[in-house]
Amino acid sequence: MLKIISLFVLLSLLAGCVSKKEEKSDCCTQKKDTKIQTKNDIPGLSVYQIDMAWNTQDNHEIRLSSLAGKPVLMTMIYTHCGYACPMMVSDLKKIEGLFTEAEREKFHIVLVSFDPDRDQPARLKTYAETQQLGTNWTLLQGSHDQTKALSVVLQISYELLPDSSIDHANSKVVLNRQGEIVYRLNGLSTDPAAVATALRQEMGD
Amino acid sequence: MIRLLVLLLAATPAPAQDMKVVPAAVFKPFFKGDSTATAVKAFTMDTKAVTNAAFLKFVSNNPQWSAQNIQRLFAEAEYLSHWTSAFTEGLDHQLANQPVVNVSWFAARAYCQSQGKRLPSMAEWETAALSAPVDSRYQNTNDIILDWYSRKMPEGATVGSVYRNQDGIYDLFGLVWEWTEDFDRVNFSDDSRNSAELPAGLFCGSASIDAADAADYATFVRYAFRASLKGNYTGRKLGFRCVKSL
Repeated sequence: MLKIISLFVLLSLLAGCVSKKEEKSDCCTQKKDTKIQTKNDIPGLSVYQIDMAWNTQDNHEIRLSSLAGKPVLMTMIYTHCGYACPMMVSDLKKIEGLFTEAEREKFHIVLVSFDPDRDQPARLKTYAETQQLGTNWTLLQGSHDQTKALSVVLQISYELLPDSSIDHANSKVVLNRQGEIVYRLNGLSTDPAAVATALRQEMGD
Repeated sequence: MIRLLVLLLAATPAPAQDMKVVPAAVFKPFFKGDSTATAVKAFTMDTKAVTNAAFLKFVSNNPQWSAQNIQRLFAEAEYLSHWTSAFTEGLDHQLANQPVVNVSWFAARAYCQSQGKRLPSMAEWETAALSAPVDSRYQNTNDIILDWYSRKMPEGATVGSVYRNQDGIYDLFGLVWEWTEDFDRVNFSDDSRNSAELPAGLFCGSASIDAADAADYATFVRYAFRASLKGNYTGRKLGFRCVKSL
């Protein structure tokens, strides 16, 4: 019996290795199978299927689908984060820096807070000002429930820790004009040019 | 009028799922790399996995979660694929008392919310699962798990048919795998500042080094399985149950 179990474990280990590799190469390719479309023509796999209201740094209530029409560079952060998030924001600024002023109008940069209790719109506003974020940046705060749902969709997992810090993954994703994930980059201080290229492909003319 | 009222009452909810208390505990994570032990507060848990019948009722009341209407972001194509039209039309009761499977994390979560409940955290689920079996052919939970892993899973097993634990909760092992709210928790290492990558050691060769107990294959398989999931995935042996904070 033990043999069988060991075999099972070994198989799952192998499967783990294989599927992990696969994931890297095609994590973001969309299945062509998008027969099911909603009334608003949001593709079935679009992040915009999460139909919830979020608050912006200007205290406007928006739905993610209002971002449709332009590609989006999206990540998740929280403003009390001391180290990783400022680096993430600096990554995004570097990516933005690879575009001209005019080009920057053709995409959105969106930061969604992991920490809705403390990151109220006013706090996000201050953060945007301190970080000198441009007008194409949108900072969002929603309920814990929708924040978790979005993180699962974006595969940016996080955990609220008892000391009120947050353990979280650092990934950025590019969404196409319909909100489908077309590119993902894991980690910090990684290749800004690659992200810019992915974004540019979705921008059109 | 009275008749209408009676009808309405009769049509409203099925008897609520029995819940039992899982006492407070300190949960020690399986992987050393994880943050240290966490306190788990006492909570109540469904005594049995959610059944096809209960889930059908949920889908009838919330048609956006039907196989026909659900968006791919929330469940892949295999969602509820084991449901026959005879079952959904109420003509076939065979599936009724079996655990619902082929459900995604989003669907499981929506179901629990519709009941005023939530999915258990991984720490809560694991804490509940530690409780030893009573009245059963198994000595301890590890026996159940190893037996479960080493045979073909029984087709058609109903909820409550495997074993009951000391808290009065059934089949945490031996029936189906179960979703947890933070199933994606093992998808990143403790030090998120360095890497958002899956801990490679979890999967490839060096796996057992980081495990709290290298001999605990059974637990290892469970964690590896969770780590392989995404929110819209479904599985033929993947179901769920709900909990409630006290």
